[in-house]
Amino acid sequence: MNKKINKTILSIFILFILVLGTVPFWGTDYIMFFCLLFCVYLSFSQMWNLLIGFSGLFSLGQPAFIGLSGYTIAVATHYFGLSAWSSLAIAGLFSILFALFMSPFIFRVRGIYFGIITLIFPESMLLLFSNWEYVKYAQGMFIKPDHPISITTMYYVAFFIGMSALATVYLILRSNLGLGLMAMRDNEEVANTMGVETFRLKVYCFLIASLFTGLAGGIYYIFQIFIQPQEAFSIGWSVKLIFIVIIGGIGTIEGPIVGTFIFVLLSQWLAEYFSVSMIILGIIAIAVIHLAPKGIMGTLQGKFGLRILSPHWE
Amino acid sequence: MEDILQPTLNGILLGGLYAIIAIGLSTIMGIVKVMNFSHGDLMILSSYLSLVFMTRLGVSPYITFFIVIPLMYFIGYYFQRFLLNRILGKEMDPPLIVTFGIAIILQNLLLLIFTPDARTLMTGLGLKTIFLTEYLKIPMNYLVDFLIGLGVIFFLYLFFQKSYLGRAIRAAADDEIAAKLMGINAHDIYAKAMGIAMITAGIAGILVGMTFTFYPHTGSQYLFVAFGVAIIAGLGSMRGTFIAGVILAIAQLYGGHFLGPGYQMVSGHIILLIVLLIRPKGIFGTV
Repeated sequence: MNKKINKTILSIFILFILVLGTVPFWGTDYIMFFCLLFCVYLSFSQMWNLLIGFSGLFSLGQPAFIGLSGYTIAVATHYFGLSAWSSLAIAGLFSILFALFMSPFIFRVRGIYFGIITLIFPESMLLLFSNWEYVKYAQGMFIKPDHPISITTMYYVAFFIGMSALATVYLILRSNLGLGLMAMRDNEEVANTMGVETFRLKVYCFLIASLFTGLAGGIYYIFQIFIQPQEAFSIGWSVKLIFIVIIGGIGTIEGPIVGTFIFVLLSQWLAEYFSVSMIILGIIAIAVIHLAPKGIMGTLQGKFGLRILSPHWE
Repeated sequence: MEDILQPTLNGILLGGLYAIIAIGLSTIMGIVKVMNFSHGDLMILSSYLSLVFMTRLGVSPYITFFIVIPLMYFIGYYFQRFLLNRILGKEMDPPLIVTFGIAIILQNLLLLIFTPDARTLMTGLGLKTIFLTEYLKIPMNYLVDFLIGLGVIFFLYLFFQKSYLGRAIRAAADDEIAAKLMGINAHDIYAKAMGIAMITAGIAGILVGMTFTFYPHTGSQYLFVAFGVAIIAGLGSMRGTFIAGVILAIAQLYGGHFLGPGYQMVSGHIILLIVLLIRPKGIFGTV
């Protein structure tokens, strides 16, 4: 019975990827815009879920990578005349370097402090970038690549980044790294005693997450054309990630997919009122934690044994 | 030399205020083992509450202490009881997400209700200063903050050492199961501890409102102040909290003095990161 359901859902999933991959052939510009946002947020949320759901790292530092990546591209195209794609590659590299820089600070202390220490980084960068003449203070910068890029090209790059993020998490969970992560999440001390190098695992995950978060942030800002510190390093990114992962199902691969879809749909209506949308996202996330802590996909998995992408061992 | 004396003096006085901002956060970190992301925003909420009572009732901010403090106790008590107690224990992430969510909701609610305008609680103290020398002066409101901060921390110390509730709270923090066996209702104790933490946040909020301007989003700024002090001090040290408050305040004021006002907060962040790097347990921490 369950196998049959799982097979149906797997075919729905494959169909879904095919549909997503062919959007430029049949979709209007609006649908393409919608799917582009979906791919960007899918990379963000898969990576955040890798951190919180599988590694036990509550990171509020993701906006640092999103903003840094956007600014890297803005500076590289504006001051150095590089093309959009080579600056995107540099932005990915910078994200990893910045994650390496953060590591000695954030992995020094116990788990409950991790969140707030990671939060210090985007907040400091917001202040520094707002006071930095080179990036035009808080006024923001325009991202002008040397030659215009069609939305179709941008969409394919976003699609490629989103799918790579999905595949990376899928592969990580089926590797030794994934086994170590699960052991660590369940009981860090026992895992350590059994020879799992928890510190190294955490750093690996953090670096991988920073790379994909940076790349997705980069394509987002290439698409947006304009970047401002207030928005780029905003705590709002973290609120959105929490909402997506909590409502979809923490610690499942399917959860962030469903959560991202719900969020992008919702954001079409919420976009105009930032404050109201933050309040609504916050209230829904808190309600879900209390009423259905496993989220939509986690609850379904528990009830029907649905498992398509998430590992079978728990 | 003289231009460094004034920021140093201000820093020492401001340290008292920073200590009382931090004490509630570090109490909850030590007792409930939860990082309360909404600490700064609940503190700013009390600044706004004070402002509302001040304008509606036409009283001085000092009188609003008597209304805001009980109110903050109940806010803290029910916040812990209904939103945090039920999800404690199993994993560490859900309580963090809930306090973070509350922080975001509060910030944006305050923004919708009170608009992003700068507010302040006018006391008449703001302009008064005591001149020590021709160049060195003590701002009166900083002095009041310092003395109240010192007093609150002293009272809190006595409370945790001498009173039954204070000792029960410490017992529940040390070993929840043992405390339960001794007939202590740990969850009720946690709610009361959060209530007490919110009393300190309420006092801090009104003092901040009387000393500086505040906006709906200032809460997160004070969350970092509170966390910075708690980390520099190390958990469970009241004297340490006070000294850490002074260290952080001086670091911020020097940063503002030498690099420009835009770098004031960042200098505090940098000092915090340096302490994390060399002494992650804090300067006075024993745990």
